[in-house]
Amino acid sequence: MRVPLIVKVGTFALAVMGVYAYYANSIPQIQSTLPEELSLEGGNVTPEQLVKAGEGIFKGKGTCEICHRIGQKGTRAPDLAGIGATAAKRKPGMSAKAYIIESLLDPRAYLVEGYPGIMPKVDRPPIGLNRSELWATVAFLQSMAGTVDVKLDDIPKTAGAVVAAEGAAQGAELKLPGDPKAGQVVFMGKGACIACHKAGAIGASPIGPDLSQIAKIQTPEYIMAKILDPAGMGTMAGYPPNMMPPTLGQTLTAKEYIDLVSFLLTLKGEAAAQAPAASKQ
Amino acid sequence: MGKRQGRERRLTGGVALPLLGVFLLAAGAAWAQGAPGGETEAYRSFPLIGSRLAVWGAAQLHLNFAAFILGVPMFAIIVEFIGWRTQDARYDWLARQFMKLTFVAYSATALLGGLLTFVFITLYPRFFGYLAGIFGPTMWVYAGLFFVETFTLYLYYYGWDWLSGPRKGIHLGLGVLLNIWGTILMFVANAWLTFMMSPSGVDEAGKLTSLWGAIYNPTWMPINVHRLIANITFGGAIAAAYAAFRFLGARTDEERAQYDWMGYVGNFVAVSSLLFLPFAGYWLGREIYAFNQTLGITMMGGFMSWLWVVQAILIGVLFIGSNYYLWLGMERIPGSERYRSYIPYLVMILAAGFIVWATPRSMVATLEEARAMGGTHHPVLGVLGVMSAKNTAVNLMILTTFVSFLLYRRANRVATVSWVRSGMTAQWIIMGVAAAVVTFYGVYGYFVESIVRIGFSVYQVLSVLAAIVCVMAIDIPMFRRARSTGAIRWGQIAPRSQYVLILLAVSFTWLMGLMGFARSGIRQHWHVYGILRDTSPEAVTPALGYAANMITAVTAIFLAFLVLIFWLGGLGERGAKG
Ligand code: HEC
Ligand code: HEC
Repeated sequence: MRVPLIVKVGTFALAVMGVYAYYANSIPQIQSTLPEELSLEGGNVTPEQLVKAGEGIFKGKGTCEICHRIGQKGTRAPDLAGIGATAAKRKPGMSAKAYIIESLLDPRAYLVEGYPGIMPKVDRPPIGLNRSELWATVAFLQSMAGTVDVKLDDIPKTAGAVVAAEGAAQGAELKLPGDPKAGQVVFMGKGACIACHKAGAIGASPIGPDLSQIAKIQTPEYIMAKILDPAGMGTMAGYPPNMMPPTLGQTLTAKEYIDLVSFLLTLKGEAAAQAPAASKQ
Repeated sequence: MGKRQGRERRLTGGVALPLLGVFLLAAGAAWAQGAPGGETEAYRSFPLIGSRLAVWGAAQLHLNFAAFILGVPMFAIIVEFIGWRTQDARYDWLARQFMKLTFVAYSATALLGGLLTFVFITLYPRFFGYLAGIFGPTMWVYAGLFFVETFTLYLYYYGWDWLSGPRKGIHLGLGVLLNIWGTILMFVANAWLTFMMSPSGVDEAGKLTSLWGAIYNPTWMPINVHRLIANITFGGAIAAAYAAFRFLGARTDEERAQYDWMGYVGNFVAVSSLLFLPFAGYWLGREIYAFNQTLGITMMGGFMSWLWVVQAILIGVLFIGSNYYLWLGMERIPGSERYRSYIPYLVMILAAGFIVWATPRSMVATLEEARAMGGTHHPVLGVLGVMSAKNTAVNLMILTTFVSFLLYRRANRVATVSWVRSGMTAQWIIMGVAAAVVTFYGVYGYFVESIVRIGFSVYQVLSVLAAIVCVMAIDIPMFRRARSTGAIRWGQIAPRSQYVLILLAVSFTWLMGLMGFARSGIRQHWHVYGILRDTSPEAVTPALGYAANMITAVTAIFLAFLVLIFWLGGLGERGAKG
């Protein structure tokens, strides 16, 4: 008996797709996770859940990935692969756990060689992690080549207090009396920042780092200081030193300066609208 | 002849017009609902499979058909033009065959478009209301254009005999017009879906500030270009598979010859446009990164990183399949024996390229795996996983495919011009230089910052394109008055070659589904990224295996639909014969 052509071709097509589907099912299956404000205080969580939550924060709310990569040198910050183990060797006499917590709450206390102190305190705005989230993040970092032994009580009670007190990460935002519109003009004109930086829709120069999300990852204090004393704030890894003009403090008027900073503080990338998720607490 | 067409008209025309009505109605309803906003229910559920799968299925099917009916007319008109200039009736026959396929698929597209709109309105009322509130005016334009396009298509298709001979120019003009309408139509629809990924023209609360801003959002143009090219590829591949199917079922040598040729042309169209797709893809990827790093990272390194491995497998299959088809095709060409010895080398390059391309970059392995590897990079394979290596591999694969084509082209020709020797040497040198440039930048890419490296891919691409252009510029005059070693024996090709064509069409369709999943999946739990959150119970973006099963199911339905529709379309033909 002859098999009808349509059956042959149909079987063939299904077999081809079956192979593709089989392959796609045989590799690790990862779902996207929904970002939630995390509250683990008082609850029973296993270390696995904690690590998983921490990973979510690392990739999501923490915006750590804008600077850090795991298994790869980022342009802005050190590789965090194996941090669970290396953390123990950073400061003599300090445990890995204590070091990791310190590097989140007070990043400048110890600077990794070759990197300037640009990392913001992650329990303060703009990142603004709460205690639970810090706990999970530390667990996640420890899980990379270390043992997860962090307890909620290891996180200082004062951590994240600013955010909690203000009710929301945005509430703590510094209000500057500057005019962002005028600041943009300075950015493109007198300040000549645009010659080296991209900022959202304007500029495209690759000479300096992209500032499109600077307000999301940096504090106003840092931005203000960086303009006045670029070298004093350290040079970002991966960029040449002494490129930023050191004389901005003299050439810009006070108003131009405040306007410029106000403008930079509007640069939150597009994902800024995610912030409301943090205000649920 | 006349009788046959009458029957077809009743069949398809009878379906298309009411559908258009449904579609307009749906669009109108949406518009009305979008206006008040606010109070509407956010979600309704769909029985059995749930809302997400319902909308997914409708969207994927609609896009499959839409891509087909937009892609095919683009090369049908070119084929018709060639037939007109060369006065070769075969081409006119072919163009008409292609258009026949478009014509019968057209109403299915409209039906599914209406269905998709309906599903959106009923299941995702708040989201659709929001979108209609932003894009309302363009939805009217869309509906209007759809009407105009339908009309043009009818004129073009049924006017074929009437507008022949001295009026052929008018007919071609209609064909061009048809393509223009289709392209605008697609651009309009693209504005809606790219807005979902990279919204602009709205303030932080999502209120419209500029309609043009919303339309011309950062990913609009890259998607437009990407889809334009991909539609041609897709149309060519499906048309080739149709021809393959007819070939396999053909009873006479004449039919076999015809459909063999049709399959060859369809595949030629598909492969030559496929060569440009990776470049459009890179552009799109870059725009996504520029728009939002998080989005870019989610796409390439986040939970979707494995998707690109699957994509790589499919691209590998496509390249190797199309080369294999060309090699099989050489067997029907007398004189091709001269080139057979090249094939093993080409296979080697392709296989090597395939392996590199399929080596994952950083992947979200499970945490255990990551810990075991000391990072998300494999210690050894990590070297091959980076973009430099991938760019190099894909460019070399493109170059190899081009060589296959070149060999095919000259299989039955012996150049007679006096400068053959130097011409051929020049060609090899050009391709050698291109390969060297590609490799050089590929290796050099490891030693520079990523920002510099991104620039390198441009040099690689340009050198390959330049090589293709230059080599063809030599090849065409070189073989102009070539001595023939015998005519191509159309129809005398191994039947397995036809299964290769079907393999290619199935893979293209599946790949299209996969890319659709990637495009909408990177938004994750957002309807409109950063603006309108998905708060439905199905907000989680599923894992790849689940997606693959769904893609397979929808692709199978699509192919079954196609068979049914083409069979219906063929009924008239059979009736006329019998
Ligand atoms: C603006 C860029 C930036 C962001 C955002 C950032 N970091 Fe950092 N981080 C750095 C830099 C630069 C260093 C190295 C200098 C130092 O030690 O402070 C660093 C150092 C560290 C270290 C110590 C690494 C070592 O090898 O000793 C840890 C741990 C760390 N970061 C974790 C995090 C986590 C977790 C987040 C997200 C909640 C984060 N960082 C967000 C820039 C950043
Ligand atoms: C000649 C080029 C140049 C000009 C002009 C310039 N910058 Fe920079 N900028 C750089 C480079 C290079 C870096 C990174 C190295 C470093 O940290 O000093 C940088 C770093 C920065 C950073 C830190 C970014 C981060 O992610 O931590 C800020 C903020 C900044 N610049 C703001 C400005 C502003 C505001 C202006 C205009 C008043 C400006 N820059 C003008 C070259 C320039």
